[in-house]
This record gives sequence, C-alpha cells and structure tokens, in this order.
Amino acid sequence: MAGSSSSSAPGGSTDYAPPRKMGRMLAVLIVLLVATNAVTAVTVYYVTAPTTAVVQTLRVIGPWAGPEKAKFLPVLNLFHNQTGINYEYITTRQEDLQSLLPNWFAAGRAPADLIFMPSSFIKTYGVQGHATDLASTITQSNYAAGALDPLKDGSKLYGGAYTGKVKPGFWYNKSFFTANNLQAPTTFAGFEALLADIETRGLVTNQPIISGDGVGWPLSDVVEHFIATYGGPSMHRALTAGTLSWTDPTVRNIFATYLVPTLTKRDVCVNGCWSAPRQWDTGVTEWWAGDYALYFMGSWITGMVPNPADIGVFSLPGGVSTQGIVFAADYFFVPKYATQLDSAKRLAAFLGSAAAQTEQVKVGGHIATVTGVPSSAYPPLDASIAALLTGKEVLSDLDDTKGGTFQTTFWAQLQALWAAPSTLDTVLANIEAAA
Amino acid sequence: MRRARTGRARRPRSFYSTSVVRVLFFVPATVLLIILVVYPVLQTLALSFLGPGSGAFVGLDNYGNVLGSTETIDLRDTQFPLGTLIDNLLWIAIHLPMTLFTGLFLALTLQKVRGASIVKSMVFLGMVTPLIVGGIILRYLFDEKSGIVPQLFGALGVKSLAIQWTQYPSTLLFGLIFGSVWLWTGFSLIIYSAGLTTIPKDYFEAAQIDGASSWQMFRKITWPLLRPITLVVVTMTVLWELKIFDIVYAATNPNGGVGNAADVLALQMWRYAFRAGNYAEAAVVATLLTGLTLLVASFMFHRMVVGMRGGGKRPSLLARVLRIVRRRP
Repeated sequence: MAGSSSSSAPGGSTDYAPPRKMGRMLAVLIVLLVATNAVTAVTVYYVTAPTTAVVQTLRVIGPWAGPEKAKFLPVLNLFHNQTGINYEYITTRQEDLQSLLPNWFAAGRAPADLIFMPSSFIKTYGVQGHATDLASTITQSNYAAGALDPLKDGSKLYGGAYTGKVKPGFWYNKSFFTANNLQAPTTFAGFEALLADIETRGLVTNQPIISGDGVGWPLSDVVEHFIATYGGPSMHRALTAGTLSWTDPTVRNIFATYLVPTLTKRDVCVNGCWSAPRQWDTGVTEWWAGDYALYFMGSWITGMVPNPADIGVFSLPGGVSTQGIVFAADYFFVPKYATQLDSAKRLAAFLGSAAAQTEQVKVGGHIATVTGVPSSAYPPLDASIAALLTGKEVLSDLDDTKGGTFQTTFWAQLQALWAAPSTLDTVLANIEAAA
Repeated sequence: MRRARTGRARRPRSFYSTSVVRVLFFVPATVLLIILVVYPVLQTLALSFLGPGSGAFVGLDNYGNVLGSTETIDLRDTQFPLGTLIDNLLWIAIHLPMTLFTGLFLALTLQKVRGASIVKSMVFLGMVTPLIVGGIILRYLFDEKSGIVPQLFGALGVKSLAIQWTQYPSTLLFGLIFGSVWLWTGFSLIIYSAGLTTIPKDYFEAAQIDGASSWQMFRKITWPLLRPITLVVVTMTVLWELKIFDIVYAATNPNGGVGNAADVLALQMWRYAFRAGNYAEAAVVATLLTGLTLLVASFMFHRMVVGMRGGGKRPSLLARVLRIVRRRP
C-alpha cells in the first residue's frame, strides 16, 4: 500500500504510519457524522413537535402509593372539578427526593409544580431561595396554632401543611387483650407489669413489643413519645430547637428511668420487652398475627390491619401534668422553578382549605391540620384517634423538623441503644454531637 | 530503511499529515474526557478547599474536619463503629482474600469437571445481580426469623449468632462482608478460569514426569503463571470494595446501620452531599476516594507496564501498545 510502513519487520525497527487513504476515510466519517446528526435532529424536531394545542398539566409529587394514593386522588379530582386544571400525580419516595431535588434546584429546574417533602427540607431550601413564598397564597388563619411554624422564616412561608397522622402510643388487638384478660395500663408501673405478664404467661412467641424498623424512623417515634410523656412538650420543643442538650440529666433521666429498663434483658422482661427492630410494614402482619402483643406506630396503622374495628391504642401512662403528642403533618411546597406556578399556588391554597382536608379525612387515616373540618367527616375510628389529641399539646415530629444528618444519626444511634441499652451515655453523646 | 529523526527538514511530507490524523482521532475522546472527567475532578478538588457555607478558601480545614472526625476514623476503642475509612479497609482485608481464593479454588476444582459451565454460570449470577438487590437479599439472609444464617447457627446451638445480624454492631459489618462474597466471587472465578486455559499443559506433564506433587505443581507452575490474572482480580476487587455503597445502603440505612457500624466512605460522601448539603466535605471524601482508587490503579498500571520489562520476559500487551503509541514516524 502506497505510503504505508505496515510491512515493517518484526521488532519494530520501522515505525507504523497510517495509509494515505486514511485522510479520505476520515473526511468520509466526518461527513457521515454530520449527515446522520442532521437527519436525527430533523426527525426528533418533527416527532416531538406538538401537533395540537398543548394542554397544561399540573404535576404533583407525593410519597403515597397503592391504597394511600387511591385515598389522595379524590382530593386532586375535587380540585380539578373546581378549577378545571389538569393534574398528574407521581409517587416518589421522599428519601430519594432528598438526593435528587438539590441537583434539580442547582440546574434551576424542578421535577414537579407541587412537591410533598419533610418540613426541614422545605425550610432549608426555601431559605436558599428554591421555594416559592406562599405567605400571601395560603390562608394561615385556617390552620391550628403552630401548624405552619416549621415552614416559616420570619414573614416568609415556604410551604403548607396538609393533613397528618398522630403517633398516639401502643396499638393492640382488642380481641387478644380480651381473650387474655389484659387491661390497658394507667400507671408506668402498670405498664411494666403488663409487659412482664405478657412475657411470663407466654402469650406471644416473642417479646411483648415489636420494634419497627425501616431506615430507623420508628424508633425515633417511640423515643419522642417517652420524651413528650415524661419530659413534657417543653422538653420536646427544647430538644427540637437545640436549646436543651441530649446529655442533660433531665433528658438522660427519661431514658434511664423509663425506656432503658424495658429494653434491658433481665430487668422488666427476662428477654427484654422490645424485639430487635424489624421491617415496620411486615411487622404489622407479625404483630396482628399474635407474634407480638404491642406495636408503637402512627395512626396510619389503622389502614393496614384486616379488621380496624378490633384495634385499640393506649398512650404511655403517668407522666407530667401537661403532656404532648406528636402529630406528623404532610408538608408540601411549590418550587421556585415550577412551570405552572399560578396553578400550583391555587392547588397549595386548596390543600390548605377545609374543603380539601374534609375530602381527605372522609376516606380515613388522616387528621386535618386546618380548622373547620367537621368531626362528622371522620370515620369513627379516626374520630377516636383525633380525640386522643384532646388535652395534649400538639408537637411537630422532632427528627423530621431537624432533618439533615441529625435525623439519620438519631435513627442509627437509637438502633445502637436497642442493641445495647448499657451504651446509653455514648448514644446520647453521639446524638448531641449531631444536634 | 530506518527514518532519520534529526532535523525537521529531513522529515518526510507524510509526517505532518500523519500527525494531524493521529491528533484528529484523539480529539473526540480527549474532549469528552476533559468535559466529563477532568473538569469535574478539578472542580471537586477545588470545592474541597472551600468553606461549606462561605465558599471562601479555607486551605486544609475541610480535610482536617473529615479526617479528624470519628465518623471517618474512630479508634477510641475496639468496638464498632470504627469509622468509614477503617470499615473500607476491613472490607478489603476480609472480602478480598475470601473472593479471590474462593474464585481460584472453584476455578481449579471445576477445571476438568463435566458440566462445570453450569456451576460457573450459577456462581456468576452474583455478578449480574444488582448490588441494591444484593443488599436487600442480605437483609433477609440475616433476619432473625426467616434468615438462613441465624437459623443455621440456632440449629448448631450457637445462640450468640442466632440473632438478627443487621441489628447488632458486632455482627453487622461482618455479616455484610461475608454475605457479599457470593456477589463478587463470580468475577474471580471467570477470570481465573480463563487464565488457567492459557497455561500450557506441557509444563504440568513435565512436572509430573519429574515426580512433582499436585501442591508443588500449583505452587511452582499454576500460581506464578496466574500472577497477571491475580493482579487484575486484586485490583478490580479492591476498587469494588473502595466504592462499595449499594449493598450497605440497601441492607442498613443512610448511616450505615445500627450505630454507624457498617458505614463506608461512599455512603459518608453521599450523606454529606445529599443529607447535610455540605458539598465541600463531600468533595473531601470524594477526593480521598479518588486518591485511594488512583493509588490502586497506578499500582496495577505500573505492574502491567513496567513490571514485565526486566528478566527477558515478553512485554505485556499494554506495554507493547504504549510503545507503539510513543513512537515517532
């Protein structure tokens, strides 16, 4: 081949040089590349070009799937009927959105026009300028006192509260309690006696209480309940605000006096009163099947058992005179980069109205955050759960409010406490370090 | 005839056109590398020297914060957690020899077995299983009630291990390491199996005639001739262990499980960036990971290119390719 040195002897004494035709081939390649790209571009342009008028659709991202989604869609349908605005609902886990949304925001875009996220996330990114100020959109006077506080920064309001769930205490199967002649306790000593009794009589195949697990949040709900009951709302709020140390003797005392004895083996229960943390949703089945007697969980559990009429609940007994109860609201916000900003604001205002929340509570499993929702709208079971709030101060979920790395540290450290209750001081020190 | 290399005037006309062609061929890949690799790496490196909130230059403060944190290195006692860096090193110390020797053992054992390809395919299934699925499988493998591992130890009467491994700091990390051996063993099995086919049978026949035992043949023939293969397996496995994320995340939680007992560098980086929004310290962890990865990769590169030069041995393929590239016309 002309100009080629490919016939060089083995050993490489003569260097390789490409044939002269290589330049021609390169030119052909470039022409082909340009041509195919041009064809592709023209094709894509015509394929994606709208042939009819574009229908504006409001995109909503929420965490609910399956039955929970089915219960939420009627609310969006009501909004559509009232406004004529089309919507598209997409289910995405909030844990995933925690990672994804910052990247969208950095690019000046958002995957939806209205997104449900924890309050800590909304406030953090709202302050950074990624959420729309809804102070003039949402009627704040509609809400119960303090319901919007986690979303506020001065006069700005970065989101709204939708309905929520309450985390009232320990759920039990009424038939199981009746069959075994068990009573809901009225004192902490009675609570310990109940646990010991369940274990001694071998009424369940495992520990008396099942500990839920997922990424760790169920244990944080348990601990918050102990704090709200025996430390009171002021302690809960101070820990949330970071004005009280987790290693403070008053806080440590709650753990050491009430929680740790029930966790420790050969104390209240020989094998410990709490199981090792188990996947929380399959845990519902195990608990309902009688493998465990009690389950600390939020009010959404009523929608997960075959016979909700047979479910009972009691809060930790005793405690300080003014107690708190954690109410976990579902929060939403409108990203600054929403493409349907006006429609999204209208939906935000709607979700913060009594009309929307009445529609939601009707289907069960939700408690309203706005005033004006008639008690008759609640199914009987939810009405009794809502009644648990009476006489107690409503508290925001501690770890959801703080968010960030505190939340995951809190979960991981509580798992460590469950594994080794004797490490209480180390656990509290680690939580404090992340607070 | 050898071309003269002195003086530009004596170069043939084709030199320039050949050089231009070579450069043109390099351009697309180079541009892509600069945009997708070099620029982000430099940006990450620069970010690691900036204050998390202020964006001002803070020198090595971020490195001090990350490396001085008990989250990264925790040697206050011998109990878990030991820190992400130590956990990654434990992965390498335990997981690497287990997968390497298991793969080698299986490759040797299955060398002359009928239906070996079926067994190899089954072992290789671990490699094609998404690691996130592997993590979830591990979670159930160590479940107190349904998991085969606690049940097995329960049946053997070892009550201390008949527990939910993922809920105790002392068992969590070891559970993940031991449990994930099957996910990676397929790699060493396949590579070693391929390597074994390249060893001439004459060597073994000669050794047999000389009365060598099986162990001697392995030690003097098989193992030394598999050295390049071992180098590849070791390097790829160490890189896999350094960037481990999915298994730990799926089997535990965003903090590496109970009391951070199984936390690893990649998970720490993700947490800094996407939970705390602290991109500067996330960049520090990313830089550390890149540094460790480069260390391992450069070791392999060095051994492949330079290590084979001496002793009259035939240069490696990579060494030969590089030699051709370096030549001037």
